[in-house]
Amino acid sequence: MSGLAGIHVACRALSFAYVEGDRSIPAVNEVWLEAAPGSSTALLGPSGSGKSTLLLLLRGLLEADAGTVELDGVAPGAAGYPALQRSVGLVFQQAERQLFAASARDDVAFGPRQLGWPESDVEQAVAESLERVGLPMQRFGERHPYSLSGGEQRRLALAGVLAMRPRALLLDEPFVSLDPGARRVLAAVLDGLRDAGLTLILATHDVDQAWALCDGRIVLAGGRVAAAGGWEFEAGGEETLRAHCLRTPSLVELWRRLGRPVAEAPRTPAAAAEALL
Amino acid sequence: MRMAIAQYYPGSSVLHHFDPRAKIVAVTVVAVALFTRDAFRALAVYAALAAIGLVLSRVPPVWFWRGLRPVLWLIVLTFIAQVLFVPGEAFFRLGPIGLSWRGLELAGYLSLRLVVLVLVGSLLTLTTSPISLTDGLAWLTRPLRALRVPTEELALMVTIALRFIPTLLVELEAIMRAQRARGADFSHGGPVRRARSLVPVLVPLFVVSFRRADDLALAMEARCYVPGVRRSRLHPLRSGWADAVLLALVAAAVLAASLI
Amino acid sequence: MTRLIDIQDLRFTYAGGTEALAGVDLRVAAGEFIAVVGANGSGKSTLARLLGGLECPSAAAQAVVCGHDLLTHTGRMAARRDVGVLFQDPENQFVGSNVEEDLAFGPENLGWSPERIQSRVDELLAAFGLEDLRTREPHLLSGGQKQRTALAGVLALPRRVLVLDEPTAMLDPAGREEVLRAVGGLRRDELAVVYVTQEMDEVAEARRVVALRAGRVAFDGPPPALFADAALVGELSLGVPVPAEVALELDHRGRSLGTLPLTLDALTAALAGSRTS
Repeated sequence: MSGLAGIHVACRALSFAYVEGDRSIPAVNEVWLEAAPGSSTALLGPSGSGKSTLLLLLRGLLEADAGTVELDGVAPGAAGYPALQRSVGLVFQQAERQLFAASARDDVAFGPRQLGWPESDVEQAVAESLERVGLPMQRFGERHPYSLSGGEQRRLALAGVLAMRPRALLLDEPFVSLDPGARRVLAAVLDGLRDAGLTLILATHDVDQAWALCDGRIVLAGGRVAAAGGWEFEAGGEETLRAHCLRTPSLVELWRRLGRPVAEAPRTPAAAAEALL
Repeated sequence: MRMAIAQYYPGSSVLHHFDPRAKIVAVTVVAVALFTRDAFRALAVYAALAAIGLVLSRVPPVWFWRGLRPVLWLIVLTFIAQVLFVPGEAFFRLGPIGLSWRGLELAGYLSLRLVVLVLVGSLLTLTTSPISLTDGLAWLTRPLRALRVPTEELALMVTIALRFIPTLLVELEAIMRAQRARGADFSHGGPVRRARSLVPVLVPLFVVSFRRADDLALAMEARCYVPGVRRSRLHPLRSGWADAVLLALVAAAVLAASLI
Repeated sequence: MTRLIDIQDLRFTYAGGTEALAGVDLRVAAGEFIAVVGANGSGKSTLARLLGGLECPSAAAQAVVCGHDLLTHTGRMAARRDVGVLFQDPENQFVGSNVEEDLAFGPENLGWSPERIQSRVDELLAAFGLEDLRTREPHLLSGGQKQRTALAGVLALPRRVLVLDEPTAMLDPAGREEVLRAVGGLRRDELAVVYVTQEMDEVAEARRVVALRAGRVAFDGPPPALFADAALVGELSLGVPVPAEVALELDHRGRSLGTLPLTLDALTAALAGSRTS
């Protein structure tokens, strides 16, 4: 993360269908997406709308049936593409399920080691990323992953991805089944990552979390893009959200009810409280 | 992703409606009888039985082909081995290796027997749902309870294990993808390297499975499950005259095959 | 009204030495719908399991549920009959190979006749809107559908107490709504419902809330009284809806709004009220 700028993530007319026996189940249908370097985009949509599939495609873990994924303007097939692909980190749903090593530091070191880094670089990356997620090496480095709480385990899994120094970070429903305390801690960590300049794409069904963390949003429905771009509440953006069973962020609605300009709606309850004093 | 040998093809044919116990007995009897007499004519009887079963099952032939595919290598190997190495009058020579008619005959017989065996087995698994199969086996092995074998509990274990296979496969795929995203490589290197590369996949899978097992046991106890207590069934096994006919048919076939 | 849960000074310590319950008092009568809240580690899940006769209390002055003494083995086994427990993970409660088989599991364990089981299964399928899913296999069901099946399965046997341990924690918003609606339809005069949750907005349904903190009861009364105590709510580390979070943040900054508002309506009203005072 030190000094590395976020990359530009884009996909053009991306399509993918799952094949099961003789049936083909379309999951992503001609999706166009643009995420500027250092931007944070929410990927909104109900279950089954194709969010997870899209993230897998962006990371290159699935091969699209049609369309391309461009990273920093580089298309697949070009020389620098594989390296760029490796710089896209993907944090899966219930990421703590991937923990396997006997100590927290060993698990986090897995990624960098697989990348073939010299051991001194690995150690530094591990220490940095553990610090970033609020599990400092001194207190947590030797702990067994399974001795940690659910929220700590999830952050440990995130550290495992961050240790590879990604320049873009894709997260698939990072808050699901976390208790409220753990949610708050994770949100703070993601805030920090956004401030550090990583390109963030966050798939979530929690509109309030998305509002707190992301500059823009893409709404997926049935594998297609229903709306893309910045949050728009005057120009009918709200209707799009509602049409797909997503509510307007609570703080935006609050500002509207208080008669205050919606464009200045605060992102977090703390900011709201400050503005209301 | 499931192997076609154990795959179930839902349907309502005559074979689908037989009691699983009758089917298991029938298939076991035929499988054993296949190996008790080495004669093409006997084999022909069983082959005819299998063919009739195939037609009556109304299962598309491609499913039987999928069941044969995994053992195709064995069939071909057997064929080649018999053709090349059985002594007898050679009609073709290539150096020290000779092809004899007798070898050809034996090869054909053994290969065909393997095919019939697999087909008969597939007939059972394609027309019997895993639950029915388990129920049937549980009933048939009940005498083992006298030897303190917990057949009912084992049957329930098998049913639950089968129910969790799709779940585990999804879990496995997710874990493999997650580790691949961290640079893991499962396809390169020698056997030792590949085995070690599976640790990041197997450890999480085991841990998740143990946790599942714990949770499930608690949920089962909460619904009054007590191991050892006799349980009833929503769909108990009920045999009828059709099953008697099936068993009689099989008995007749075995008799015919031994007398031909 | 008959008292179905009569617990005094209940204690439970895990094998490893962790004390989960340090003296809990709880009395619930038939027809009551109470919420039990508390942070991770407060002892909620342990309490749920003990109420269901699934664990043996370490000690108690009194531990009687539906007339059965939880301190005896026979009492606990009998409690399992009268107390139904629904757990968090929809996947790990699904025993049967399809919905119908899963609903039949409980009755099968009690040796009911096939006819009686079938008719009960048919009733449950209709009551919980699961008719179309009769022969569906679990891996083809959504989280909400699995959890509804689990709930129906728990109620297959006639219960006097129903304990729900964070039943929506692992569900997406659609699934959560499904299950909350199903639970809402369960109010009956003879049934006592104990709803364990970490989310404040799920407490609104209950007329009484019991808050646990570090294995003890920190509050036992009507929800509005709990919401009025912003300090306590903060201490309990619960998941509060955005309007309540804004109010808590204002409280931190010295501006108290009185009773904690759970909805935007309540918040805007409170803001208007406090401005005039």
